[in-house]
Parts: sequence; structure tokens; C-alpha cells
Amino acid sequence: MTKRGKEMRRDAVPTMLAPDTVLGPDADEVARAVFERWHQIAERLEPVIGARGVDVLFGRALHLTTKRFPWLATSAALGNSAETLKQLAARFESQEASVATEAGAALLLTFTELLANMIGEPLTVRLLGSLWKQDTPHSRLERQA
Amino acid sequence: MNEKVAIRRLATGVPGLDTILGGGLPEYSFNLIAGPPGCGKTTLAHQIMFALATPERPALFITVLGEPPLKMLRYQQQFSFFDTDRIGTSIRFINLSDEVATGDLEQVLARITSEVEATSPALVVVDSFRAVMTEAHQQPASHLQHFVGQLGVRLSAWQATTFLIGEYLSDTENHPIFTVADGLLSLKQSVHRNSMVRKIQVLKMRGQPTSPGVHTFRITGTGIEIFPAAVVPDDSGALAERRTMPRSQHRLTTGVPALDAMLGGGLPAGYSLLVAGPSGSGKTILATGFLSEGVRLGEPGVMVAFEQTPSQSRSPTIDDMVRAGHIGLINTRSPDLSIDEIVHQLITLIHQMKAKRVVIDSLSGFELAVAPTFREDFRESLFRMVASLSGLGVTVLMTSELEDRYTDLRFSPYGSAFLTDAIIVQRYVEIDSHLRRVMAVVKVRDSVHSNEIRQFSVVDGKVAIGDPVLDFQGLLGGRPQRTPDNGSAPPEPA
Repeated sequence: MTKRGKEMRRDAVPTMLAPDTVLGPDADEVARAVFERWHQIAERLEPVIGARGVDVLFGRALHLTTKRFPWLATSAALGNSAETLKQLAARFESQEASVATEAGAALLLTFTELLANMIGEPLTVRLLGSLWKQDTPHSRLERQA
Repeated sequence: MNEKVAIRRLATGVPGLDTILGGGLPEYSFNLIAGPPGCGKTTLAHQIMFALATPERPALFITVLGEPPLKMLRYQQQFSFFDTDRIGTSIRFINLSDEVATGDLEQVLARITSEVEATSPALVVVDSFRAVMTEAHQQPASHLQHFVGQLGVRLSAWQATTFLIGEYLSDTENHPIFTVADGLLSLKQSVHRNSMVRKIQVLKMRGQPTSPGVHTFRITGTGIEIFPAAVVPDDSGALAERRTMPRSQHRLTTGVPALDAMLGGGLPAGYSLLVAGPSGSGKTILATGFLSEGVRLGEPGVMVAFEQTPSQSRSPTIDDMVRAGHIGLINTRSPDLSIDEIVHQLITLIHQMKAKRVVIDSLSGFELAVAPTFREDFRESLFRMVASLSGLGVTVLMTSELEDRYTDLRFSPYGSAFLTDAIIVQRYVEIDSHLRRVMAVVKVRDSVHSNEIRQFSVVDGKVAIGDPVLDFQGLLGGRPQRTPDNGSAPPEPA
């Protein structure tokens, strides 16, 4: 049986962002990976739930994740604006790679969980599921091996 | 050769909607769904979309402000027709709130155009169009008219069947969009006292005869179900033909042989019979016997009961027959019932059971059960119901609570006596300081029948007809007197 919904997200998101000793990512690379993934998610969702819908959920996900990672707190609740993302990227880059990875995974997981709470797991998988199956540094290496 | 275009009619997947539309939704039509917030516009559009969309003929659902898409997706999933597996393959959701917020209608049109060109949808829904109109109010009216015209023309040209959903609150609102649209569905919620009834009306549908008038609908877990108002067929052309047709000679026995004799040999098949009488006189017992007799003869029946409280339980006989599957039972206490909904349930059950006999016990309960908003039209609706049932060829027995009045002779409080083919009246009379029941056959259309007033009693749950009350007169006036030639003194009034 294939893994669906929650399990799939829980497994896939950290894997996508995990520090890879072979590739040797640093915090900059983690930040890039987090926001690349985030842009993909937003790109999928904006046509369906609108930029405002994505903004609201992102703002809430960020607020919840900040409790565990206070350094994520931004000065203004700007949602998914370019300004917020720029500020956030800078914060990720200033962290240890492992901490940045953990925070990035927590942020994306919290966001997808909020989405799943609103529109249900099957529709979330329907809209975002293929992202979990995309290439990751790990899967690329596995294929090369 | 002159070959006219044939318009394909799409099955909407909404029970009852195809009927009131006059056979389905015309393909490539440009339709409006209008109504106040919460009346079910988005649900109706979703239900139609899920019924029609396929990977080859996909649907595009464009949300424009109005209900936030997140919430719409959340709530619409509660309906069983919402199939998430079809999102992305057969159905695409697109949000245009950013384009609409600019107030630039050309930009909105361009985005809709590009989305439609990209996916070639067979069905396009724009929800809600009022948002577009509100934004456009900042602009000259001609811009909006141009936009609406363009949208209508383009969507028709792209061979898409289109729905625009809008909160058009006023009946008198005159807008170019009403002219451009091929179809106009108006949804309403009517609140009367503590009941709320949903109503739908097809105000316009080009090219096909729709069912006129207001139809009720209900929203349940499976979505919208419409109960088309029963239509009494116009048979003025068929009248001559009918006259030449021999009337069915078959008569149904009531389970009370003496009553059958009073009716002139039983109740003619296809007739409607009104049994009117005061509380406790034995109407339900007579009705139950009518159904039991049917079951005995292999004629299934349907009973429509309107018990207001569980304590007013049905007789064990009815329960046994229902359990055995010999008769169907409709018993409802819903406060927002429409007569059309009951008729719809009843007709479905009649077909299902292949029923020959129908009992409605009682009209008084029925009147209490329907939503207050329908009570004003109760008599008219009753007429349509009796006509519909008569069209099915079933024989109907209806009971009616009759207040004992001794100053006038009334058979039902609805003026419904003329609607029925036969009438039996039951009364209490006082004879020799005893309260006795009497029964008389008042009318059997086109048939001889007894005109006697017979005493009757209920023995072991069955009606037992006694002798005619020959010695008294003035029974129905409540003050019977012994007939003078009998020689004895009249009983003293109580």
C-alpha cells in the first residue's frame, strides 16, 4: 500500500531538506531548498485558493513555527510577501545547517497540515502530492548509485 | 435539405432539475444562478459540475472573491458528490480575485480567456459574478455590458456550457446580463415562522419548455434534490378520446363487506375516497382495513401517516404489514416539508411498491406537517396531489378530521370534498343516552350507492356495520328524534 497524506508529508518534507553529507549543504543551501520548495507549493496553490488564501495560511504556519524557532519571528505579519520571504531567508542562512533544516521542515509541514485541516488530506495530496515525489538530493544519489 | 440544429441536453445530476428545466441543460448554454447568500447556488453549480465533468470534457471552476476558496473547498467536500480524485483531472479550480481586485474587466476577461484556451473546458463556472459587478460599478455601465457580452459570446463560441453565479438580491434588478443569458435559475429561501423552505424557479431557459412556477428543494449530504411541483396535465384535447374509453369496471373491496355494499359494490378502482369524521370515530381503522384487504388480495399499498408525536403510534397491523414489506410507509415530522416533496416521496414509493392502494391519514395531520408557508396554498396543492395520484391509477383513501358540528354539514375543512370521487362521513349521535357511531356514503361519482345512515362499531380492530338507523330522524343535526309513526316518544336530549 502506498503511503498517503500525512505520512507521505512527514516522510518527504524532511528528506527533501535534509543536510546531505555527500553534497555538503550549508545553511545557505538549506535556505535555498526551503524557499524553492515553498515557491513550488505556492505556485500550485495560488490558482486554486488564491494568493490571499496562501498568504493567510503561510502567516499562520509561520506564527506556529515561531514558537519552536523564535528566531523565525518577523517584524511584521506580511504573509507570503517577497519582503517576508527575503527576511526569512536571511534568518535561515544565519543558522546552523541542521537547525535551519529542522525549522524549514517544521514550517512546510505546519503549512501543509493547516491546509489539510482546511481542505482535507485527499485534496491536499491531490494538489501537492506530486511535489513529494519529485527529485531530492537523496533520490538523485540513490539513482546514481 | 433543411437540417435544424439539434441541441443536446445534458443530465445535470441534480434530482428533479432536469425535469423542471424541460429535459436537461442545453449544451453550450450561458446560464445564471441567482439568489441571496446561503441559498445553495455554489452547491448547485458544484453538483452539476461533478456530474458532467470528465477528463475529456473537463470543468473549470473560477472563484472570484465571494466565498473564500479555502472554505468553499472545505464545505463542498461534505457532499457525497465531491470526489477529490477528480480534482486536477476532470475539474480545475482557478482563483481570479487578484485580477478582479484591479477593477480592470479587460484583465479579468483576458485571464478567463487564457484559462479557457489552455484547458478547453466543456463546463465553466464563475463564482461569484456579483463580485465582478461590484468592482465594475466604479466603471461606466457600457464597460460592464461590453464585458458581459464578450464573456457570453466567447464562452458560447468555445463550446462550453457556462454558469455565472450571482447574488442578485432584488427581483427588479435589471441588468444586461439577464438579457444575454440563455438560462436563469433563481434560488430563494423562504422563512415563515420557524420553518425555512428552499425554492427554485427557472425564470428563463431558451429553446425548451420549462416547468413553470416555484419548486421546492432540499439540501442533504448527497447535495440538492428538487421536488418538481406536481403538474395537472391539460387533457382538454384528449377529453373526447377519454369519453369513448370504457371506465374501469373493477371495484376494490374495503375489507368491510357491508360497506362495499353501501358503496354500490366496492370502491371503483382509481377513485379517491374521503373518509371524514370526528376524532376517534374509526377513520384510521377503516383506512387500515382498506390496506389489509389489499394485502390479502395481493395489492400492495402505501400509507402516508402524519403522527405528530411518537406516542400516537401506528396500529400493530400497519407495523406488521410494513415489516413484511407488503405496504410502504411515509411518516415524517420534518418542520419544513412541502406538499410537492411528500408527493414526490409518495410517487417514488408507489412505483417502488407497485402499489394499488394509497392511504393518507390524515389531511389534518398533513396540513400541520407542511411548512407554514405552504398552508395558504394547501387546498390548491391537495388538488394537484389528488390529480397526480389519479393519473397513476392508484385508489386513494384520505381521512379528514371533522369537527362535530350539528348546525351545518361539512365533510372537510379544506373544501376538498369536491376533489374526491367518493365521500364517507362518520358521526357521533346520541341514542338512548348512548354515544353511537353512524356512517353514511355521501357520494360515489357515477355510481349508485346506498343513502342509508348505518350504525357501526369497532370490534377487534375492525369496522362492523350495523343496521340502518330507521327509527330516528335528525341524526346529523345531533338531536335525533324517533320517527312519529314509530309511536314511541323521542329520546330526551342530554
